[in-house]
Amino acid sequence: MRSQWRALCALLALALVALAAGCGGSSGSSSSGGGGTAAPSEDKTPVTLTLWHPWTGDEKKIFEAQLKTFEAQYPWITVKAVGYPDSDTFDDQVIKAIKGGNGPDAVLSFGPDYDGQYCSSGLMQELSSYMDQDGVSIDQFAPAAITYTQFDDKQCMLPSLTDSFGLYYNKDMFAKAGITSPPKTMTELMDDAKKLTVKNSDGTIKVAGFVPLQDFEQLGIYDLARMWGAKFFDDNGDPVLSSDPAWASALQWQKQMIDYYGYDNIIKFNAAYGGDNEFSASNAFETGKVAMMFDGEWRTAFIKREHPELNYGTAFFPAADDHPDLYGSQRVGGTVVGIPQGSKHPDQAWLLVKFLSTDPGYITTMANQVGNVPTTVDTATSPDLKLPPTFQPFIDVWQNKDSSFFPPLTTAGRGYFLPLQQFVDKWQAGNVSDLQSGLEQVDEQIKNNLALGDQP
Amino acid sequence: MLLLLSPWIIGFCVFTAVPMVLSLYYSFTHYDILTTPRWVGLDNYRYMFGVGGLGQDPNFWLSVKNTLWIIVFGVPLRIFFGIITAMLLVRPKRGNNVYRTLFFMPSMAPKVGAALVFVYLFNPVTGPINRVLDSIPGVTAPLWFYDPSWAKPALLIMGLWGIGDAIVIYTAGLLDVPRQLYEAIAIEGANRWQRFRYVTLPMLTPVIFFTLIIGVIDGFQYFDQAFVAGNTASGQSSTLGNPQGSLLFYSLWIYQQAFVDFHMGYASALAWVLFVATMCVTAVLLLTSRRWVHYHGNLS
Repeated sequence: MRSQWRALCALLALALVALAAGCGGSSGSSSSGGGGTAAPSEDKTPVTLTLWHPWTGDEKKIFEAQLKTFEAQYPWITVKAVGYPDSDTFDDQVIKAIKGGNGPDAVLSFGPDYDGQYCSSGLMQELSSYMDQDGVSIDQFAPAAITYTQFDDKQCMLPSLTDSFGLYYNKDMFAKAGITSPPKTMTELMDDAKKLTVKNSDGTIKVAGFVPLQDFEQLGIYDLARMWGAKFFDDNGDPVLSSDPAWASALQWQKQMIDYYGYDNIIKFNAAYGGDNEFSASNAFETGKVAMMFDGEWRTAFIKREHPELNYGTAFFPAADDHPDLYGSQRVGGTVVGIPQGSKHPDQAWLLVKFLSTDPGYITTMANQVGNVPTTVDTATSPDLKLPPTFQPFIDVWQNKDSSFFPPLTTAGRGYFLPLQQFVDKWQAGNVSDLQSGLEQVDEQIKNNLALGDQP
Repeated sequence: MLLLLSPWIIGFCVFTAVPMVLSLYYSFTHYDILTTPRWVGLDNYRYMFGVGGLGQDPNFWLSVKNTLWIIVFGVPLRIFFGIITAMLLVRPKRGNNVYRTLFFMPSMAPKVGAALVFVYLFNPVTGPINRVLDSIPGVTAPLWFYDPSWAKPALLIMGLWGIGDAIVIYTAGLLDVPRQLYEAIAIEGANRWQRFRYVTLPMLTPVIFFTLIIGVIDGFQYFDQAFVAGNTASGQSSTLGNPQGSLLFYSLWIYQQAFVDFHMGYASALAWVLFVATMCVTAVLLLTSRRWVHYHGNLS
């Protein structure tokens, strides 16, 4: 009996050790970032780098073909690219692997959502010393780059192509309504939207000029508010939605637009043409159900593929009447690359990160073939770019000094502004009696929720 | 003996006991998965219930209310329709197996797939249900998943479509009622209602009790359908618990705190409150069951 106990205890202990090793491996094996004494490119011992990325399908083929160019530049480095098919859970997998000590040498991720955590926790290595060493500066990218690759004064990621947002408009409908140019101010946007709207006899919407609902496709209330110059946090990191008048202005503009249609009508319209139709050939803008739409640069490629007959134009998203300076800026943010803690070949991984973020050939080829916005200042005007004229506003938005990743990075990912979205949900439906006290509540809720993750 | 049990014991410890103990510990910390947990005592629980000046979690009571709603309405309806359908299903003389298979089939559909189909069926404009409703004069069809007062009922209807598992259990229960009891009550001159009330129903109580417990526990953990319906109906960038928080169930809130906000400590606290609440409700049901559940063995 006693020996059985011992055997069992031994087994249990083994299991626990295995478990502990699985979760706690983060403390040991980290090789500190940027520690290389010699310039990284001088060491030419053959190495194989592991790179994790979420590209799939054709884009994966295009991407991996580009890695051959990298290998040609650095013949002693072989890149083992591991594609992870689900971009939504990609970063979760990366975090688990790094914490377990099984992380890759370099990471390419689609969303900057985790960068706040990556930088502040040290899970991704600080890149500044590598950058200094090789003369790479954050100024090589558009000013917005800093807003989603740097956190807590740590530059732990670099941008590698990006998304940016603007206004799509249907030229045929504009001509029919007698509108000669796309709206530049929020007042013009609303006036044009009304002119372009076609209602059925029962008041329901046949064609919507512009759908201002926060969940309609890409539009968030923050995309509207930023055009009034909205800030999310003050210098102390406290949310300022109730004290920055931009938010109330944007919300009132939005409500006025909704009331023009009638809430039930616009909800029905959203039910019929929004939702799952967004990324299909039955997209509301592509099928002529909306005349103007807030969307990302990728739509140009979608239209070309799905509805080449559509006569459309693109422009900057309108700015508030009293903020003409903001015309040309919008939300941006996209793919990021970095070197995880525990990378076995950080010096060589840096060469790859440098290639993926700054190599002009790579950036322009990916921009041409995948249809994302090129991220370095130089490539924005490169003659090698073969993109349609409708793409230009998105490049310009990326380069604009007032564009930024928005709402800003925190260590709590992108969930922290849920109280705002919940509030807007009620606001849109007309279920908010006092806007100011509602926003004050939102501020408090966001602050309290962020406090749950505060670090000493 | 212990050695024989060891595969289970190790599995239990590694996958259940250790994580439970750890999550209890985390519930007293602020923990973001990446850095070391920081002990904060009862802060997470104070924030949850809004005591002690840390503010109040705005979605805690909302998610509790939504979850209780789905239990209070969902579980009895499930039992009611389960029994009715089972009673109809034991009647035909021929083709029994065909009918039973047909009624069971929906519960084999994956929850996510089923939810997607129902979002389509309930679409206020393009869905077939509202097309029919709209064609009836004088009827204003509801907006279902786009209206906070109709979103939960839509989920209930979807739930009632998939009660095949309950039907199978009730059918077995009905077929198990001793014939002689019906004969005895027939001699007493009972009508159909009395036969149901004094024979069928009491003999079904063990089965009802089982489905009640399972239903309540399932209700506390309600997630898949709400998550899919809330997300799909409103599009890609949707707000959790759409429309207007009406589908924000307790498990969704745990998910949001743990895996979107990275508040693992607070999520652990929420999970422990859920665990304790489930245990308490189950215990109360077990205690009351002595009064209304009749087991065959007690007949004699």
